[in-house]
Amino acid sequence: MENSKIIIGYLIYLPIVIVLTIYVSKMLFKNGKYFMLDIFKGKEDIALATNKLFEIGFYLINIGWALLILKITYYSSKAMSSQTLIEILSKKIGGFSIYLGIMLFINLFFFFRGRRKSRQAQKMVTKTPTYNVQNK
Amino acid sequence: MSYNILTYTIYLPIIAVIMVKVGWRFYTHGEVFLMHVFQHNTPLVKSINNLLLIGYYLVNLGYGIITLAYWETVESIPQMLNTLSEHLGIIIIGLSLLHYNNVLVLNYLVKSKTLKQ
Repeated sequence: MENSKIIIGYLIYLPIVIVLTIYVSKMLFKNGKYFMLDIFKGKEDIALATNKLFEIGFYLINIGWALLILKITYYSSKAMSSQTLIEILSKKIGGFSIYLGIMLFINLFFFFRGRRKSRQAQKMVTKTPTYNVQNK
Repeated sequence: MSYNILTYTIYLPIIAVIMVKVGWRFYTHGEVFLMHVFQHNTPLVKSINNLLLIGYYLVNLGYGIITLAYWETVESIPQMLNTLSEHLGIIIIGLSLLHYNNVLVLNYLVKSKTLKQ
């Protein structure tokens, strides 16, 4: 009886987590394409390839983490009640969702950082010649 | 059925509705600010806005769900109402603090942009 509740928990947890990861990374990298095009200044093949590689990394990290925290430990002489199951599941799914949100913001931060760096590089290239002209 | 599960079934729809509505408001009205900050670069602003909305939903719904794990045992209807209002209040106040923080940051960004020009 106790074991069957834990297995029900796994069966609820796994689809939710995997669907959430796939949806979030699909959305993140559909929108990240514009950043990548901006960072690589319109070199489309490199931008799309980098985007794809980032996406694969995102999948691997998040699904790996989701599987790592799958295990439900329950030590008690009493059989697990459905209330306990709901509480354990809520801890796991809520925690994973917050983790995923933080990963999303970290990725967004990387996008902004890359965009700023590439802008700075561009500005330096365009600025130096005018500066030299003024010196003359 | 215990009172706890009843409380959860009341709590979850309320929190979901509040968060989705608030997030949607931020999404539609924040776009104007972002447009100013990013000099009307429409595809970029759209994508930033989408990502911010998704991150907001993930973190907030995650927090809303995770409070279930730490709920005290409920034994009567008045206690149920007490705990419900307490948890809802914490989340709504947290949302409002985040919101004011956001507005201040956006205001600051828009001002610094307009000063530079």
